[in-house]
Amino acid sequence: MEDYKFLFKVVLVGNAGVGKTCLVRRFTQGLFPPGQGATIGVDFMIKTVEVDGEKVKLQIWDTAGQERFRSITQSYYRSAHALILVYDISCQPTFDCLPDWLREIEEYANNKVLRILVGNKTDREDREIPRHIGEDFAQRHGMYFLETSAKEAENVERLFMEIAVELMEQAKCKELPKYDGSLGPINGKTSSVGDGSCCLR
Amino acid sequence: MSFVKCCFESSEGHDFLDSFVQKCTDPGCCCGCCSALRPRYKRLVDNIFPASPQDGLVKSNMEKLTFYSLSSPEKLDRIGEYLFQKASRDIYRRRHGFVIIAMEAMDQLLLACHSQTLNLFVESFLKMVQKLLESTDPQLQILATQSFVRFANIEEDTPSYHRRYDFFVSKFSAMCHSNHSDKSTRDNIRLAGIQGLQGVIRKTVSDDLVENIWEAQHMDKIVPSLLYNMQTAEKYETVSCMETDTRDGFEEDPPRLAEACLRELVGRAAFGHIRSVLRPVLTHFDRHELWVPNDFAVHTFKIIMFSIQAQYSYSVVEALMQHLDVGAPGNVDARARTRVRAARAAVLSNIVAIAAGDSVGPSVLEIINNLLTNLRASVARDSEKESDERLYQEALINALGEFADHLPDFQKIDIMMFIVSKIPSQRGKSTKADAMLQSILLKSLLKVGTTYKTTELSKAFPAAFLDALLRLSSAGEPATRALLQRILHTLLDRRGNATVLVTPTVEYAELGLIVEKCSRPDLIFISKHGYAIFSSLYDGLQLESNVAENVSAIYTTLALLCVELSSEETVCDMLQLILSIQHSAISNPVLSTAQQCQLHAITAALAALVPHVLLLPRLQEYINQIIEARREEAPHMLPPLQESYEHLSPSKMPNKMPYLMIDQMALGDCLKAHGIEASRLQSASPYSGGANLAHRHSWVEAGAAQGRDSLADISAGPNAELVDSANSSPGVQRHPLQLENVSLEALRRAASGPSEAEKREAERRKVTLNNAFRTAPFDHLLHLTQPKYEIKDKLEEIFNSLSEEPLLAGAGVLAGGGSPGAKCHSQQLPAYTKYFPELFLY
Repeated sequence: MEDYKFLFKVVLVGNAGVGKTCLVRRFTQGLFPPGQGATIGVDFMIKTVEVDGEKVKLQIWDTAGQERFRSITQSYYRSAHALILVYDISCQPTFDCLPDWLREIEEYANNKVLRILVGNKTDREDREIPRHIGEDFAQRHGMYFLETSAKEAENVERLFMEIAVELMEQAKCKELPKYDGSLGPINGKTSSVGDGSCCLR
Repeated sequence: MSFVKCCFESSEGHDFLDSFVQKCTDPGCCCGCCSALRPRYKRLVDNIFPASPQDGLVKSNMEKLTFYSLSSPEKLDRIGEYLFQKASRDIYRRRHGFVIIAMEAMDQLLLACHSQTLNLFVESFLKMVQKLLESTDPQLQILATQSFVRFANIEEDTPSYHRRYDFFVSKFSAMCHSNHSDKSTRDNIRLAGIQGLQGVIRKTVSDDLVENIWEAQHMDKIVPSLLYNMQTAEKYETVSCMETDTRDGFEEDPPRLAEACLRELVGRAAFGHIRSVLRPVLTHFDRHELWVPNDFAVHTFKIIMFSIQAQYSYSVVEALMQHLDVGAPGNVDARARTRVRAARAAVLSNIVAIAAGDSVGPSVLEIINNLLTNLRASVARDSEKESDERLYQEALINALGEFADHLPDFQKIDIMMFIVSKIPSQRGKSTKADAMLQSILLKSLLKVGTTYKTTELSKAFPAAFLDALLRLSSAGEPATRALLQRILHTLLDRRGNATVLVTPTVEYAELGLIVEKCSRPDLIFISKHGYAIFSSLYDGLQLESNVAENVSAIYTTLALLCVELSSEETVCDMLQLILSIQHSAISNPVLSTAQQCQLHAITAALAALVPHVLLLPRLQEYINQIIEARREEAPHMLPPLQESYEHLSPSKMPNKMPYLMIDQMALGDCLKAHGIEASRLQSASPYSGGANLAHRHSWVEAGAAQGRDSLADISAGPNAELVDSANSSPGVQRHPLQLENVSLEALRRAASGPSEAEKREAERRKVTLNNAFRTAPFDHLLHLTQPKYEIKDKLEEIFNSLSEEPLLAGAGVLAGGGSPGAKCHSQQLPAYTKYFPELFLY
């Protein structure tokens, strides 16, 4: 139950109000909290998924979009394996800020980090950024691209699953920067122990 | 579970199997289906769990488990691992009651175990804590934190190199920012987060081998988390260092605990780590826009200052100073920037005093220099209309004053000399910015000066400093000149007379001046520098741009000099100056009528002060006559000063009334009546002549005058008249032989041959004269080279130590020679220390 093969840290970034927390909640808890307040600092969630029959644990750090928390959120980029950059497809300014975010990621994150661009809120009628614009942008900057709706649970599962698959492939190719094993504070051996308890299930 | 239990029960009495099972190290082989083969530790662990979680930990079985793990510590790691697995399952199945019991058991084992064996167990323990922290249930998170804190307080004797606290720092920081909808839950999570951070700090800070907590990736999380909690406090009460020992970490509200934690963190920071703490602090204030208003910033920085190791406190000042000008990202509004800058400077002025006590050596000048640089930059920005810029400058000056206030006096003089050296000279083309800088630096100087308590004038006015001040006294701006006089006031005034002497008056009786006999060192000082001071003040009175403020400021300076140096030996100089001023009021063509009247008024005021201070009734009587006469016929020639005297009819012009003037002959007669040598009064006034030439006395003259005066000092001994006569002909190089004056002492000295003192005196005279001639051709070099005070200090130190030793020996030799010789020695000392450094100054 507890054993997992890989642990990946995923960090969500993007302007305030684009729906980062809702994406995480939808994925980890399967719910869409209406009237979700602004995140303060950083929030943390965990979810274990299965890829090719292997357990992958995702540590999801959901950062605050507000400018004033920028300094603490930046400190979380560094250890991330994947960065999800979220914008709101019905809000042009959140898209316009993307270059700034990329600059920040460039500055603070590991350069091998997996970057995913996500246009959220596809359920909204008042779309301002056409899909191809987002795709173009992602392509130009070497990012994966996906449009999601946390409200309708559209593409949310897929987003995280694809991240898990991609990261796992990287890890198997040994491309993944090693952050001292799969368990944060404890040495790497533990990922393969624990099988002895099978009989107790 | 029930299956496990029943298997377990049936296995009682099969202990003999244990030895067999334990040999089996491969976990895969012990298949649980055969309960009899289950290892003993698993059974012991299983036993501690009650049937229903409400019943809590089974105490007696827990004791058994503890005993077992103590007697066979090699099993600890497996016990830990097993407990962890059980708890993981329970978390997954949301059976939180059992999770809590498992955690409790782990806590107990942790505390019971010896530290040598702990290392193996700790891994499972921390895995367990992490597991709990990963759950979304606040209760479990808090529970995990408490366990972690318990663990953090255990001192391990073997470091564990591989252990990482990365996750804990991240998670605890996230908890510090909890946004739970229920307020009390939120507070509890935040409290737990802070406690956890505190635990991580304690665990890692003392051990260099484990994770370096001071790295930016950790500090960038820890510090903002603490500050964020601190800033939510309703009011900020800054308590000093005394109450920082709230180390138990069980405070009720997050802000207080966060504060305690910050104190602890800062207190443990070694020098190399201070920057890594301060940088996130400064960034946090920028990001959260906490500079304006700056209550919280002041609060935080005071806390930092109070808890930081004293010897490093100046680096906080340094960091803040460097941050003064740093713009917040995304903030382009110039006005807002200025406001932020002013607020930062205000914070600086609040904390700088705390640093001053522990600052030593170069760090002091470093700080001062930095402040001055910032001031200069502010002036260069030249935004006069902006009051914010003004506020900024004020705050910086305040910081300077606060800082200086807490330094020992000898450093204050150093600092004042340093500031003076930074003041742009008025000789070049004075731009507006220069003038502004000049006045701002003078304001700083005044601020520092007011914190200085003058004891001896010669110490307060080292020659170079005095010279620089006097040079500035003819600055272009009247306000600047007035400022300079105020600096002189604060440095001259030792007995609190300055306040009553602010405005000229003739009625001194009711002012309650405090007058004491002038000390010998002061007398030497004034006989040495008196001419320079007086002539500079005299020149200051001759300027066309003077307003009443300038005149009355110079009056105050003169009055203070008169009070501080009240002596029969100086009275002639004073009266001579008064006569010169009176003369200039009549003869100087550039002066307006108002200025003339003002000069007459202060002449009368000063003339009345001299006999009051020295108790010369005859002189007083004469002056009173004049004042009475003026009061009847020409009140405009008496204080108080007025800005304009337009109503004056031509017949009342001062130069129309020679009979109301103070008469030189009459003064001389009065002095003679009091037994004071007055011949000097008769000689031509040294102050008249090219009134506006600021540096009339060249360096050669000054040097020569010094040489001459010091000659006079020594040869005169206690005999005052010789000082007077030597002083009576300034500008004329006299060569009074020491033995010319055939006094008793002189004879005695002649009999005992050239004493140690005299030899040294001759030596010194040579050097002084040498210096005088050497400096003359290099006059222009003075502008190019800046005084190097550090060198000067060093030299002064060396010369002090050099001069002390032979002095003692010399005193021994001279003991037979009698007291006058020894007296010469003691008088010589201040002169000695003063002259030599000067040699190396330029």
